[in-house]
Amino acid sequence: MRIYRALVPTVPLLLAAALAACGSSSSTAGTAPPPRLTLYTSVTQGTVSAVMAGFAKLEPNVKVTVFRATTGQLNARIAADKHSGGLRADVIWGTDPLSMQSYAQQGLFRAWPLPDLAGVPAQDKTTYFWGTRELYLVIVARKGLTPMPKTWADLASPAYRGKVAIPDPAAAGSAFAALGYFDTAPGFGLDFYHRLKANGAVQVSTVPEVVTDVAQGRYAVGITLDSEVRAALKQGSPVVLDWPADGAISLYSPIAETVTAKGADGAAAQALLRYVLSAPGQTLIGKTGYQPVLPGIAGPARPAGSTEVYPAWTTLFGRQDQVLAQYQAIFGV
Amino acid sequence: MPFSAARAAAAALLAAVIAALVVVPLVSLARIAAGAGPAGIWRALSGPGSRVAIGHTVAVAATVTVLAVAAGTALALAIEGRPGPSRLGPRLLIAGPLVIPEFVLGFAWSQAYGPAGLSDRLAGVSLPGLFGPAGIVAVLTVYGLPLAYLAVTAGLAARADPALERAARSAGASRLTVLRTITLPLLRVPLLGAAALVFVTAAGSFAVPEVLGTPAGFAMLPTLVYNDLSLSAAPAAFTELTVLALALVLLVLLALGPLDVWLARLRPSARPDTPLAADRRGTAADRVVTVIVWAYAVVAAGIPMLTLVLTALTRGPGLAPVPANWTLANFAAGFSGGGGVALLRSAGLALAAAIAAPLLGAAVAGLARGRWRGPLATVVTLAYAIPGSALAVGIIIGYGRWLDGSVTIIGLAYVAKFWVFGHRPVQAALDRLPPGLTRAARLSGAGPATAVRTVLLPPVTVAMVTAAGLVFVLAFHELTMSTILYGPGTETFAVVIMNSEDLGGVGATAALAVVLTAPVVLVACAAALVPRISTFSERSLARPPGPPPARPADGGPWFP
Repeated sequence: MRIYRALVPTVPLLLAAALAACGSSSSTAGTAPPPRLTLYTSVTQGTVSAVMAGFAKLEPNVKVTVFRATTGQLNARIAADKHSGGLRADVIWGTDPLSMQSYAQQGLFRAWPLPDLAGVPAQDKTTYFWGTRELYLVIVARKGLTPMPKTWADLASPAYRGKVAIPDPAAAGSAFAALGYFDTAPGFGLDFYHRLKANGAVQVSTVPEVVTDVAQGRYAVGITLDSEVRAALKQGSPVVLDWPADGAISLYSPIAETVTAKGADGAAAQALLRYVLSAPGQTLIGKTGYQPVLPGIAGPARPAGSTEVYPAWTTLFGRQDQVLAQYQAIFGV
Repeated sequence: MPFSAARAAAAALLAAVIAALVVVPLVSLARIAAGAGPAGIWRALSGPGSRVAIGHTVAVAATVTVLAVAAGTALALAIEGRPGPSRLGPRLLIAGPLVIPEFVLGFAWSQAYGPAGLSDRLAGVSLPGLFGPAGIVAVLTVYGLPLAYLAVTAGLAARADPALERAARSAGASRLTVLRTITLPLLRVPLLGAAALVFVTAAGSFAVPEVLGTPAGFAMLPTLVYNDLSLSAAPAAFTELTVLALALVLLVLLALGPLDVWLARLRPSARPDTPLAADRRGTAADRVVTVIVWAYAVVAAGIPMLTLVLTALTRGPGLAPVPANWTLANFAAGFSGGGGVALLRSAGLALAAAIAAPLLGAAVAGLARGRWRGPLATVVTLAYAIPGSALAVGIIIGYGRWLDGSVTIIGLAYVAKFWVFGHRPVQAALDRLPPGLTRAARLSGAGPATAVRTVLLPPVTVAMVTAAGLVFVLAFHELTMSTILYGPGTETFAVVIMNSEDLGGVGATAALAVVLTAPVVLVACAAALVPRISTFSERSLARPPGPPPARPADGGPWFP
């Protein structure tokens, strides 16, 4: 048994060494550490990768760590941070204004630090965060479906009983925006979700999952983002982008500097905000399938005559939890 | 051996490590939950979502336990009585799903048997209710069945007495009577152990309810804890999730408690040195069993894994999985967001856990003798019973201030959870050694080092290597705790796959799942096919020579 007595003191050392071996590298003593930037984002991987690659060329000295996850997982990460020493992100780049407003209400954001940047439309700005790209919620339908739904209200019609997939607002920021629009839009309200539920609509996790499920034939139609439908069409999937006649729901994808960012890290955070809202950054956003927020920079082509509608953001701000709880009482968590 | 002061100090140090890894997280959870006061705790438990999730968890875990233990026992009795060489194939087929991560199995089933899945596409057949409780029960049963099978098989090797059964048959008892009055009573200990293990695994499962339950709005406690974490900006919501996490711990312990008490009352029984099974020829019934096992393996794992590979190779969702649509682009897409680094990180973490857990396990087995043995072994064993989501939240509260979002915090969770897999094999190896063997070596002239090297080290080394392999696989596949503990730059590979699934990238998800699963499956197949290792496995199931162990196991007889 003596061998074990000899082994015990080595255990913590071995454990620490093994864990250190798979951890991140340590900083070099004697030199000033490079600015570090931690980005929390729910933006699509392709867009984040492209924009961060562009930023790395502009600011090669900034050491960037990206935490990308769905809005729901981002919330979980932020909650874990708050209960273990504080937020670790310097910048949060979200999908929708409602989730970002919740973070703002939690005191996570600094007031927008770059008020002189030009071009961002006034309706895409708040005290704490500015929009970076426009997203459009549309209907995705299985190829060959007849009749095709023409309006949002058609989704609750008996023709699509049990065939509609909707994304989960607790998991996906854009789905939260759709919920916000219907909550305040005349003729809809939460009653629309009651009617969807009664018609056998099924909640899936995220907007891309809606497209996947419709492509696979699990559901015939669903609520999703135009960019996701285009990506599926590019892969050859049997789906159709069905732009509602009463307008796609438009939302902007905001970015903000957090209160964590300080000193050189804060400067790096602001450099990132500036880059995302610059012409090169916006061009990369357009190339990865989204409509840039700056006018004059090309995004994906839209169907002729297509229109959009806007959620009443200011009415919704402050009511996020209440709206979500009411939705969850209908569709469950 | 005298209980020296040094040994006591080392054991106390060990107890401190156990407390740090297991007790601190639980106390942290309790501290936050207690802050809500009795009214707050009641409110958290009695909310409609909580009540439903608690009910679902109990119902699913109990159903899975009954199905998996019944089927595992039936298959073990049917297969383990046959001639030796013909047992290996069925054993591997039944144990196969164990090397497939739970999450991958759930995802593969959804692609194989779900609406518009492979079976629907080819034969117009889909499994009704796959998304919902029926599907969760089915997949968790496939995962739990091998656990029950292996536990009963080990029990048969250690406890069954063919001579008794033959005597009863000679005296005119029917097969059913022999089963009811002799075989099953002798197997009570492994059966209860299997039931406890399957219950713990099913109640704590996060991945399968997340993949198959969430789309149907069917919540269980682990998924509710995770979902609450995403809504826990408000302090009240965070308190609620700690209450729910503790409820999950209590639920599991309440189920294990009576089993433990029952097991403690059972007298340990050990069979005399009679062969496990008579050398008889294969019968028609054996062939029927073989067909059943093959059919089960094909349906439970074969078709889902084939579907997974086809999905990984198919260009886009909704396209037929035919060669014209095949591509490797899904693999490239899956690895585009740091998947490669995450794979290396997972391998590193699993390696760290595979080194630490057997060493700590050996420390518990070697140091904790006498009055220390029971309590320490109990805590290590019960640590496995703490559902991963509760352990992870407890670890965040306890150590997050210093370690949150680091790779170290994930490693700590792995070691806490899988320590028992490092402990049990080493403890079993030591228990099998006849007492006084080292003393005999010393009396025969061997020095202390030689005695340890030649007597203790060989069996303990084999046990530690086995334990390391087991811990590596479990940690490599771990998702429940990782998905709560990962942070910027510390995603594990399983987390990357889960995120990919969340984002609806079925092709990329399938591609990554194949990468996660294939190495372990290939290594397991290679190990099974190497004759020397097969022979060793065969032997290892039978009790080695020497007196039987004093008792089935300390502090966790339910653990096989």
